[in-house]
Amino acid sequence: MAKPVVRKPKKKANPLKAAKVENIDYKDTALLRKFISDRGKIRARRVTGVSVQEQRLIATAVKNAREMALLPYSSSAR
Amino acid sequence: MRQYELMVILDPETEERTVSTTMDKFLNVVKKDGGTVDNVDIWGRRRLAYDIKKKSEGIYAVVNFTAEPATAQELDRQLNLSESIMRTKLLRPGA
Repeated sequence: MAKPVVRKPKKKANPLKAAKVENIDYKDTALLRKFISDRGKIRARRVTGVSVQEQRLIATAVKNAREMALLPYSSSAR
Repeated sequence: MRQYELMVILDPETEERTVSTTMDKFLNVVKKDGGTVDNVDIWGRRRLAYDIKKKSEGIYAVVNFTAEPATAQELDRQLNLSESIMRTKLLRPGA
C-alpha cells in the first residue's frame, strides 16, 4: 500500500502586511493592480494570500475603481 | 452630518483652469445647507481605462465634504444633470 501523499499548502506571505497598507482605497490603483491579472480579472485569494476580510475589501475597491475608469473591466491582452 | 467622498470625471474638452470654479459652483449647495467642504483635490487630466462617451481622457477631481445625507444626494443629482460631467461617485469612507 502506497502511502497517500499529503500536501501541505505553503502559507503565503500577506502582501498587504509587507506593503504596510491599512486602508484599502479604490483610488490606490498601484496597489490594486497587484491583485488583478494582466487581463484585468481579480486574482483569487489562494493566489494573493490575503485574509478573507481583506480579499472582500480588495474586490469592492477594484469594482469601484473600474466604475471610475481607473482600472479596466477587461484588457484584451492576447 | 456625515462625511462623504466624491469623485467626478469631467469632460476633457473643458478647460483645466476652470475646473476649480466649476466644482465650487456645484459645492455651493453643501455650504448653503450648513455643510463644510473639507478638501478639493483636482487630479487633472488622466487617461481612462476604457472609453466613456467615446472619450479616452477625463479630468478627475476628488472632494471630501461633510453634509446631511439629503444634501449629498442633491449634490450628486445636480452633478448628474450637468453635461460637462461624465461620471460621479459618492462614497462614505469607512462605511
